[in-house]
Amino acid sequence: MNVFLREFRAYRKSLITWAVSLAGIVGLFMALYPAFASDIEGLNEMLANFPEAIKALVNITPETFMSVLGFYGYLLSFAWLAASIQAMNLGVVIISKEVSGKTADFLMTKPVRRSEVVTGKLAAALAVVLIMNVVFMAVSYLAVAATGAEFDSSTLLLMSSTLLLLQLVFLALGALFSVTIPKIKSVVAVSLPTVFAFYIIGAIGDVLDNVELRWVSPFRYFDPAYMITERGMEPEYLLVVAVFVAAAIVATYVIFAKRDIHTAV
Amino acid sequence: MNVFLREMKAHRWGLVFWSLGMVMMIYSGMAKYGAYEAADESVAVILDQIPGAVQAVFGMTGFDLTSAAGFFGMLFLYLAVMGAVHAALLGAHLIAKEERDHTSEFLYAKPASRSRVLTGKLLAGLVNIIVLNMVAAASSFYFVEMFNKDEPFGSDIVLLMIGLFFLQVIFFAIGAAVAGTSHKPKSAASRATSIMFGTFLLFYVVNLDEDLEFLKYFTPFKYFEASALMTDGALDPVFVALSATIVVLAIAGTYRAYSARDLAI
Amino acid sequence: MELRMNVIETSRLTKYYGKSRGIVDLDMTVEEGEIYGFIGPNGAGKSTTIRTLLGLIHPTSGSATIFGKDITAFGPQIRQEVGYLPSEVFYYDDMRAIDLLRYSASFYNKDPKATEKRARELAERFDLDLRKKIDDLSYGNKKKVGIIQGLAHQPKLIILDEPTGGLDPLIQQEFFHLLKEQNAEGATVLFSSHILSEVQKLCDRVAIIKEGSIIRVDQIRTLLENATKRLTLEMAAPVEESVFALDGVSDLAVTNHTVSFLYRGHVNDLTGLLARLDLVDLQVEEPDLEEIFLHYYQKEE
Repeated sequence: MNVFLREFRAYRKSLITWAVSLAGIVGLFMALYPAFASDIEGLNEMLANFPEAIKALVNITPETFMSVLGFYGYLLSFAWLAASIQAMNLGVVIISKEVSGKTADFLMTKPVRRSEVVTGKLAAALAVVLIMNVVFMAVSYLAVAATGAEFDSSTLLLMSSTLLLLQLVFLALGALFSVTIPKIKSVVAVSLPTVFAFYIIGAIGDVLDNVELRWVSPFRYFDPAYMITERGMEPEYLLVVAVFVAAAIVATYVIFAKRDIHTAV
Repeated sequence: MNVFLREMKAHRWGLVFWSLGMVMMIYSGMAKYGAYEAADESVAVILDQIPGAVQAVFGMTGFDLTSAAGFFGMLFLYLAVMGAVHAALLGAHLIAKEERDHTSEFLYAKPASRSRVLTGKLLAGLVNIIVLNMVAAASSFYFVEMFNKDEPFGSDIVLLMIGLFFLQVIFFAIGAAVAGTSHKPKSAASRATSIMFGTFLLFYVVNLDEDLEFLKYFTPFKYFEASALMTDGALDPVFVALSATIVVLAIAGTYRAYSARDLAI
Repeated sequence: MELRMNVIETSRLTKYYGKSRGIVDLDMTVEEGEIYGFIGPNGAGKSTTIRTLLGLIHPTSGSATIFGKDITAFGPQIRQEVGYLPSEVFYYDDMRAIDLLRYSASFYNKDPKATEKRARELAERFDLDLRKKIDDLSYGNKKKVGIIQGLAHQPKLIILDEPTGGLDPLIQQEFFHLLKEQNAEGATVLFSSHILSEVQKLCDRVAIIKEGSIIRVDQIRTLLENATKRLTLEMAAPVEESVFALDGVSDLAVTNHTVSFLYRGHVNDLTGLLARLDLVDLQVEEPDLEEIFLHYYQKEE
């Protein structure tokens, strides 16, 4: 409990910065919706004339693309990117902070089991993630409602919940990195390239709707168009998330219990 | 010079890792093009008619996706992002690491002025950037040629690579400046990459709404946008001048501030 | 009388960290060829002074010269002839010890071969395997690397900030021999510590720094005359405090069978007293400098 409290308190300021930034991203993009909407009037007729190949290529339908939720789906990828960086930072920092900050000698020699330490820290990270998502959902709802366009709230909720799933994935991945990579001197140097790599892989695959590669990048597990039309998520990807997060967390506990703690000195 | 050589040695594996990543990314991108040859003439006509906002959403703005070079142009943004992340992290890291790792009491008690050390580090960073750029250029030529259909592309790629180089130098300078001027060098990498991330988002925002076009001066990704470069066949002198100004100011600021401030021990 | 140059001269040297004081109006002179000790409790300003002299931090006001040159204007030049061992050593983990020493040597204008030769000699003397990676060295061994990188280039001024932390007693002795040798060859040594015994062994003069200012500068002889010992006695049977009413006894504490006090004065008077007591165990310690001086100056205040 004390580990949880200390970690959570230490993260306060950063949480506020991130929450504000994420809210900013949502607000900024949704504010552009009116301009976007007027820009694409008349797209409907054009769409009818598109050959199948192109429709498949860019996956545009009136419902999924030109609605306000469709636009929201677009901004989701940026929200995912930012949130994933935050989540991975959180995960990586978990253990590496003690080592690089030289407090391993302090914490790890207290009468506490290693698993308790991991639990406390993960719990704090999870609390941060949950708060972020509450903020995100609230701001999303407000911003979308503010555009005045019609939308289905439950679908919006569904779509914004994907942020939580992505954060869990990267949090777990970050935690796994933090117990396997021996010396992490710069959290950002690990998390940024990793997240961006997945993002770029996702973006490249996205343009061409490449099915095989969908499994590789978490950024492609959740398709906004699918969520809008089917009002659900594709179960196989939910399963991947669940399995990965569970496996990574378990591995984190196991590895950390066994490994030597090398302090900086 | 000794500082230069030492930094070159210290970064060699990182450079290899990033270079490999760059090669893989270019290959996989172009390979996807090869797999989905949308070779129809009519397609090009239709793609042209898609409204700017839609194009922006799919990152297709102004490209002829049917040609290998055109497709590569669309890929370029992701190359640019990779280059920017690498450069920003490199710039911040080179300057901040002595204070972060507490080796500043060793290095700066030596008979070398801070400026001299800074020069060695910055030069090493520049060499790293150039190498990455060369790797990107070589892979681009190689893989575009591999999937090309007898269309000329050489000058396009050269131009894009020059643009990439400018982008790298800009973010490198920003990274160095953030680390050099701040009293909290440990968080320099995060701040530098936040700036980079912000300009990345801004790039999309500017493309989404024509009214916001004036904001293009605030995001270097717009200075060297692939579609513009390939259409004009040349760099925009205004943007080149702006880039040079940013870099000069950032580097000069770094030298001044770094010599004048106390080193965080 | 020899006319000695002042190697270090500070004039009202002041450093504030924001609002916290580091050092205030510090005036200090270190003569050529002397071993100058700089003692004081934690937080007194020893490291601040040293770091300012080396240019790692900049003074808020005041000035200082080393070898007659202003430290702000001629920093790099001055440091050609300075060797520095910081209180906590950190080096580049990916390097081997020999790589770091070569890198260090590359900054000086001296003959690199001679410097390397000297480095190897020192490494042998201190029993350090130069082929080992810095990352794999224990803290004490890292300190040895620190000693060597500070001395291999035969500097005219050696600055040490609490140098013996982490060194085992044998190595400490070897280190002191080395410093004495260098001093005999003309090097000046500035040495900060809070361990009185070290300072006693080496220094000619000592400056006492407290709360950012130099309180006193003395020849070492004078300090020795004022040295205080802490005695802890285990008595066979409880005794009254009055038994210890001897001139020079202070800070007396009697609990059951344990008696502790500070003693400053003639040793023979003390041993005479002890001889009359029925003791189970006896411990004589030289207290921490902090203890002595806090006690001493509390009295003065």
